Amino acid sequence: MNFLVIDDSKLDCFIAEKIIRNTGNCTMVKSFLQASEALTYIKNAPIPQSRDTIILVDIQMPVMNGFDFVEEFEKLNPDIAHGYFVYIISSSINENDLNRVNNYSSVIQFINKPLTSNNLRQIIQSLAGNAQ
Amino acid sequence: MENQEKIKVLYLDDEPNNLICFMATFRFDFTIFIAPNVKKAYEYLAEHPDINIVLADQRMPVQTGVEFFEEMRIIYPAPVRMLITAYSDIEAVIDAVNKGCIFRYIKKPWNDEDIKLAIEEAQKYYVSNSLLAAKNIELQAAYDELGKFAYSVTHDLRGPLLSVLGALELSRDMDTVEDLKEMLGMMEIALKKLDEFVKSIHEYYTLKKGISSFEQIDFKALVDDMVGLFRIAGKMENVRFDCTVNQDGVFYSDIVSLKIILNNLLSNAFKYQRKNEQNKFVELRVVVENGKAEIEVNDNGIGIHENHIDNIFKIFYRATSEQTGSGFGLYNVKDALAKVQGEIKVESSLNAGTRFKVVIPGRVNEQK
Repeated sequence: MNFLVIDDSKLDCFIAEKIIRNTGNCTMVKSFLQASEALTYIKNAPIPQSRDTIILVDIQMPVMNGFDFVEEFEKLNPDIAHGYFVYIISSSINENDLNRVNNYSSVIQFINKPLTSNNLRQIIQSLAGNAQ
Repeated sequence: MENQEKIKVLYLDDEPNNLICFMATFRFDFTIFIAPNVKKAYEYLAEHPDINIVLADQRMPVQTGVEFFEEMRIIYPAPVRMLITAYSDIEAVIDAVNKGCIFRYIKKPWNDEDIKLAIEEAQKYYVSNSLLAAKNIELQAAYDELGKFAYSVTHDLRGPLLSVLGALELSRDMDTVEDLKEMLGMMEIALKKLDEFVKSIHEYYTLKKGISSFEQIDFKALVDDMVGLFRIAGKMENVRFDCTVNQDGVFYSDIVSLKIILNNLLSNAFKYQRKNEQNKFVELRVVVENGKAEIEVNDNGIGIHENHIDNIFKIFYRATSEQTGSGFGLYNVKDALAKVQGEIKVESSLNAGTRFKVVIPGRVNEQK
């Protein structure tokens, strides 16, 4: 599995990276402090051959927030978007935010911060289960 | 009552005798506008937005008084409406209440004292209504801000806490002291951020409370204190700080507001530096003369993109993710400036630097 972490908090990126590496299921992990940079990265990456990249994106970020990111992501060429599993990860307990997540078909699940090894293991397992 | 401006009253009636009689009777008590037709009535309403009370006769050709009120209250909802009608027109009265939303109806022929009283009552009603409307607007604004506030505060308070919890959880599985130290450092950053945030909430409420004291300001001492704190906090590392304070004469202002302004502008200037710039600098110039203070904070940091520059003073607005910002700082600066009647200008270009110019008029010393 590959991972893209998008969070304006350096510490949260750092934690996510460590947890992801610890799972032993990680081929590559990359963090972005700005959502726009992640989007550029995705656009310029080679067309994915299989669906093997998990995106963890925070909601509240300056300039481009998590929802803006997902909206832009959904506009991408389906061939590109196909390579990714999008998860929203946030500290938000705001109902509007939680409901809004359901509006985006590309978002698989909302995850509460902080990310833990257990959370991540469950995500990977559920994805593996679905794939088979 | 004597000293106040007279209440402005518009009276619409197709009978010239009634109009003249009305004018003659009440012109000493009120400022009277008389209109023989609807067209003239609207002209007066357009010309004099301070007409608070409108009286109309019910029986008029073309449009009845009720019909006029029905239409008028859509265009001019504020003035209080009163209908003058003969006693027999009970239908008109019912309509007036239901459709024209009138305040009173006055029966014809009228009694002078009744009309005077009705107008005075109507004026009271108007005043309390407009106060209520103004209060409602204020409340709505406060409520909207509270909503935004609660949302952002939840995020900004929980964010660092959850980061620390995440880091703690992760530390449990770490074996080496180096790794643990690294995590501790990270936690410290998160907690400092939380602390900064709580401090800016405190500033926000200090400003909102609206209490300000005016005292003599020694800018040199103020700046020295502040810079001392920055130095201790390690905010000035690797940044050349150039500071001049020229104060000519005494200056009175609200010291809390001044501290908030200076602190936020300087701390932003130190914070939003470009990492790879060799010659980082922050410049502070304070000139106090002719009873006003000019403060200039200049840096060669990351600058502000022109798309963001109009929004930087909005609450919770963050124009960059380069550094941890709360979205409170410049909002508090603006609030503080409003309190001391100051003005701020900003010039900035991306990747080149930012210059804030503040002008604050000194308060005249009100010695008792």
